Amino acid sequence: MSCVASIRARFTAPGAAPFELEVEVGLERGETLVVLGPSGSGKTLLLESIAGFHAHGGYVHVHDDDVTRWPPDARGLGYVFQDYALFPHLTVEENVRFGIHYRHSDVDVDALLRRLGVAHLRRRYPPTLSGGEQQRVALARALAVRPRLLLLDEPLASLDRPAKEALRHDLRALLEGVSAILVTHDRDEARMLGDRLAVVRDGHLVQTGTVDAVFDTPADEFVAAFLGYARLPATVLPAGGSNGAAVLCLRPEAISIVADDAGRVAARVHHVVREGAQYRVSLDVDDVAIDVVAAQAPAPGERVGLTWSDADGHWLNERA
Amino acid sequence: MPVVTTGRRGLRAAAFTAFLVLQLVVFWACVAAGRPTLYALFMPLSAAAVALLGRRGAFQVIAAALGGVLLIGLALPVLLFVSRQDPGLVAQKAADPDVHHALYLAVYAPLLAALVSTGLGTPLALCLRQPFPGRALVESLVDLPLVIPHSVAGLMVLFAFGKGGAFPGMTMLGTITGMVIAMVFVSAPYAINAARQAFDAIPPRLERAARVHGARPLATFVRVLLPLARRHIVIGGVLAWARAVSEFGAVAIVSYSVRMFYPFTGQTVTAQHAPVLVYNTFISEGLPQSGAVGLLLLGVSAAIFLIVRWLTGGRSTGSLL
Repeated sequence: MSCVASIRARFTAPGAAPFELEVEVGLERGETLVVLGPSGSGKTLLLESIAGFHAHGGYVHVHDDDVTRWPPDARGLGYVFQDYALFPHLTVEENVRFGIHYRHSDVDVDALLRRLGVAHLRRRYPPTLSGGEQQRVALARALAVRPRLLLLDEPLASLDRPAKEALRHDLRALLEGVSAILVTHDRDEARMLGDRLAVVRDGHLVQTGTVDAVFDTPADEFVAAFLGYARLPATVLPAGGSNGAAVLCLRPEAISIVADDAGRVAARVHHVVREGAQYRVSLDVDDVAIDVVAAQAPAPGERVGLTWSDADGHWLNERA
Repeated sequence: MPVVTTGRRGLRAAAFTAFLVLQLVVFWACVAAGRPTLYALFMPLSAAAVALLGRRGAFQVIAAALGGVLLIGLALPVLLFVSRQDPGLVAQKAADPDVHHALYLAVYAPLLAALVSTGLGTPLALCLRQPFPGRALVESLVDLPLVIPHSVAGLMVLFAFGKGGAFPGMTMLGTITGMVIAMVFVSAPYAINAARQAFDAIPPRLERAARVHGARPLATFVRVLLPLARRHIVIGGVLAWARAVSEFGAVAIVSYSVRMFYPFTGQTVTAQHAPVLVYNTFISEGLPQSGAVGLLLLGVSAAIFLIVRWLTGGRSTGSLL
């Protein structure tokens, strides 16, 4: 891998339990690595350690340079902070130009501002901008230095829905060909933006691989749950765990709701939530709660059957 | 909607002005009648009356009345001190070259002290942002001058830098150098603490954003930290200046009178720091004469105070420290 970060560190803060971070991630040139994990799993600390803000007992390689001992300003990075971190005393354009001469970047700032849709804001000051606009400026500032590795910390998390969807769409194009590590807790973002995926939990790596590999074959029930899989323990399945496996994982859209007696298992509808053109149906299979995405909404309380194709099922050997 | 708000604001400002004018009129009437006691009663009662008129409830009315009592303690000395000075004596003192020298010195030496406190205090404040072993000790040292009796501070400065001290070549007694060092000793905490607060108020991620995009520590300081902290650093400097202007104890011990160059006449003169001159006049000439000098010094202090208020955008200086 051309960029590798192996971070081992212990973080202490007054009044909080010490936090252990032990994660190794890597990506090839031009790839986007998404680090996916719940809040508090150490994603931000990982990025900050890669950027050189924390001492740690690991190593960081950026395009085969060992930058572990280099100060943050020498690492050739771009960084998009979750809450923008724009310089409030500089205009939008001054913010974007901030790092250019340190890096001898030949980037066309005007084109970059236009590409991000903030060219008309160039003389404004960040506190007068909306969240979406600020994040676009922050992205422009990070891209303007032509980063060898771009770090993005939950770039969409603090935006409202329209701004988030618009920027997510643009981000895909902007990350094309840029080596980037993006951390998020949003699996849809991960799937849409990532080439490679690393799932972290409590400061430790749980699974890593290409986005498709991780999404298709979650390594354990935590990953499966975090990726949105419906999980059926073997104990509720009539055939039991066929090969001694403990849990069957299915994508919610891979399960069909059929008549009560036509399914592979029986279930009772708990509640139904509209989700775009479809419905997210929450069901109880015995006392196990699962979600299914369906085109039609059954009535709450109704008894139904569930069926699926064996090819869509992914078996795990252990329960969480 | 904004129009309504502006209208209400205008009304409030008018009510406040009216209240202030009423206070001054009543004060003047009480003093003219030779009964300042009446005004001392009027002040807290009028504060309570305003709270009552504003339908603020019993708790607020009591709070306003009690707060008003304390305000008498703060406002009466100012009002009566100013109003009881003999204009003739003030004019006479205002023409006295000794007073000129003192007032010049009272602006000039503290300004030097404030520049030293700010120039060296800002780097110190930068260092104090990160934890390091012994930071608590340094913090204690910074705050120490605030709790040491100022006469003792003067003695300490003499023992440290005077005859037999660290710099044998330096004359402390009766020199501007000694005076400025004594003033730095007592006023530096204000500059350092203001700078510390200014830096603390800057989110760490801004500094990180600068560093990660290529700025070295010095460039980060010049382009990000300093512009964002500048206002508070300047305010800290002005506070240190004001503190040095009002310093009596330490200066009286180190430089009771100093030889200095007075640029307006081009002569080298012997002058005293204004607070020392006030005390000196009080001992040698009496209360009325020292009051007149005091009034002039009060004018200088008030001017500095107004500068601070202006720089802080009308916010109370108390919230700074």
